[in-house]
Amino acid sequence: MGTADLRREVRRFLAEQRSAGNYRPSIDCWLSAWDEDFTRALAAQGWIGMTVPSEYGGHDRSFVERFVVTEELLAGGAPVAAHWIADRQIVPSLLKYGTTQQKQRYLPGITRGEIFFGIGMSEPDAGSDLASVRSTATKTDAGWLINGSKVWTSGAHRAHAFIALVRTSPVDPANRHAGLSQFLIHLDSPGVQVRPIISMSGSHHFNEVFLTDVLVPDTQVFGTIGQGWEQVTSELAFERSGPERFLSTFPLLTQLTAMDDVPDLGRLVGRIAGLHQMSAAVAGALERREPADVAAAVVKVLGTSTEGDIAEAASLLSGDETAYEAGWRELVNAGLDQRPGFTLRGGTNEVLRGVIARGLGLR
Amino acid sequence: MTTIPGVDSDLSTMMHAVFAEHAATGENSAGTPNPAFWQSLSELGLSRLTGSAESGGSAAGWLEAAQLLSAAAGAGVRIPLAEHDLLAGALLEAASLPVDDRLRTVAELDSSGVARAVPWASTAASIVTLWRSADSWLVADVDVSAFDEIIPGTNLVGEPRDRVTVDTGSLRGTPIDDTLVKQYRLKGALARAIQVSAALDRAMMLSCEHATTRTQFGRSLARFQAVQNLIADMAAESALARAATEAALVAAVQNGWSTDDLGFRVAVARSCTGHATTTVVRNAHQVHGAIGTALEHDLHRFTRAALAWRGEFGSVGYWDRRLAAAAAAAGPRGLWPLIAG
Repeated sequence: MGTADLRREVRRFLAEQRSAGNYRPSIDCWLSAWDEDFTRALAAQGWIGMTVPSEYGGHDRSFVERFVVTEELLAGGAPVAAHWIADRQIVPSLLKYGTTQQKQRYLPGITRGEIFFGIGMSEPDAGSDLASVRSTATKTDAGWLINGSKVWTSGAHRAHAFIALVRTSPVDPANRHAGLSQFLIHLDSPGVQVRPIISMSGSHHFNEVFLTDVLVPDTQVFGTIGQGWEQVTSELAFERSGPERFLSTFPLLTQLTAMDDVPDLGRLVGRIAGLHQMSAAVAGALERREPADVAAAVVKVLGTSTEGDIAEAASLLSGDETAYEAGWRELVNAGLDQRPGFTLRGGTNEVLRGVIARGLGLR
Repeated sequence: MTTIPGVDSDLSTMMHAVFAEHAATGENSAGTPNPAFWQSLSELGLSRLTGSAESGGSAAGWLEAAQLLSAAAGAGVRIPLAEHDLLAGALLEAASLPVDDRLRTVAELDSSGVARAVPWASTAASIVTLWRSADSWLVADVDVSAFDEIIPGTNLVGEPRDRVTVDTGSLRGTPIDDTLVKQYRLKGALARAIQVSAALDRAMMLSCEHATTRTQFGRSLARFQAVQNLIADMAAESALARAATEAALVAAVQNGWSTDDLGFRVAVARSCTGHATTTVVRNAHQVHGAIGTALEHDLHRFTRAALAWRGEFGSVGYWDRRLAAAAAAAGPRGLWPLIAG
């Protein structure tokens, strides 16, 4: 099936879901809109775990097909947060680094829309500077004892597990990226405590996760001990170049088309269309396993600024002199409240400009 | 140097070499195309790259033509390749009129028989002229001697942009379909997007070279994070310009010039290249410091060209308004299908 047909199929599905009252398009839906019924309905269509091989319950689809489906879902503002991390991050990582047992344990459930994941990377003292994580794993007879804390863990209060990046040997100042390892940790394990971080809008997506003597068996080591940094960074281009980097405020842009004389509308539509082309080109390169780190950083720098600009354009038009349609204010406010996160998460734009500069041989 | 995906690499290398060699002679100032250089381009089969073989052209496609335009723009060589081949030659062939090697451009007349800012008119031997009769669009290949006036003008980089006047009553026109006129405008617009992208790429390259070789405060400019950020933003914007331009180019090559969505794709390319020019030009000059503004320095040959070209075949504002109008016509439900197909 061509991608054009696939696009139409997803659009038809979304239109049905909307008319059945199952969702309303929302801002930043891949972080904020958690809806497990919707996730299961998507799974029934075969649109979660698309790239997973059928032996693990998946659909043997290409990465480009997955790109098309996720782009359509985000453009439609669909509630995809529940499975987002598992589908985007955990599936490709498991396929690349997971043991057969791990793949069998998680992939079928992810693909059915029943197992949800978080990411355990940032720590209170390790934001952009990920190499300074302090959480540790210590080898014992029974496996590994994990201690420390993770922060900004989206959905940890609802997810089943996360993959945590921790130190398995002390920092070597000559090679700060050495000695890091990843572990699959179930969030209901003894010693795991999840505390909410309420966002400035009053909503709850983020959490702090405290790990106190959490015992993790050897079978839950993810990838190779000591290779955590390489494992984390090798897949960053997937995370940075996707449609979630320019479509977080698309429902606002669609509404702007119905308003009169919106300054900047043409420029914003042009940029989103250009970013769609660029992001699709990176998806093609990733499918061919070509290096795309710099191109992915470019998509993220431009895309996250543009999705913020869309929120700004909407805000500049919204005052007390006009009566707006129901729901408009909420969309605009959500755009403004979510905007600071756009250019922070997944590598701040400042870090990414460094990545681009390095790609150009400037550093 | 800009490379267009899908073009034979030997051909690209040859094109780049031809323009680099000519640029090195220093004889690339605007005004009149150097006759000897034009002759050598003709002998290499580059001056009518996309013309049919029967008419003496090289029968190549728009991808190769895009590579040729990029190579010329990236070398800072001013030459009417787009006008002669992609616009004038293509229109004559579409109207089944004879084509030869005389230097040509295209003028689209208003109702009083005047066309403004016609590229390279004062240097052309013949001007392919478009005008509207009561019933349809007409086209004629008009010797420059038949024009009442050709008043020379220039754009920001000194390329001829001339005002021409002709009495259409004295011309014998061939009726052509409206779509051919629309295609001509889109082709002109896309040609400029290709040229702007190539100029931006070169301005970027010069900025990287300057930043890595120029030393201030005891270290190269490239070591300063503030300078890295200026260049990273240039790289990002020029990459977006290129992606949007290539998407329009590929759409035209794969689906032809008359599809409904090509106008939108070209508008996206022109908006993205136009706004990319803002950032790239500003930051390139900032990185270069005062020297970049000197006539003897190369930078302005690319920054000023991008600024000139982004306003030809429609200003950035014009293309932004077209995008806004397309988005408004599509409405909330139609916006995404307009963008993604």
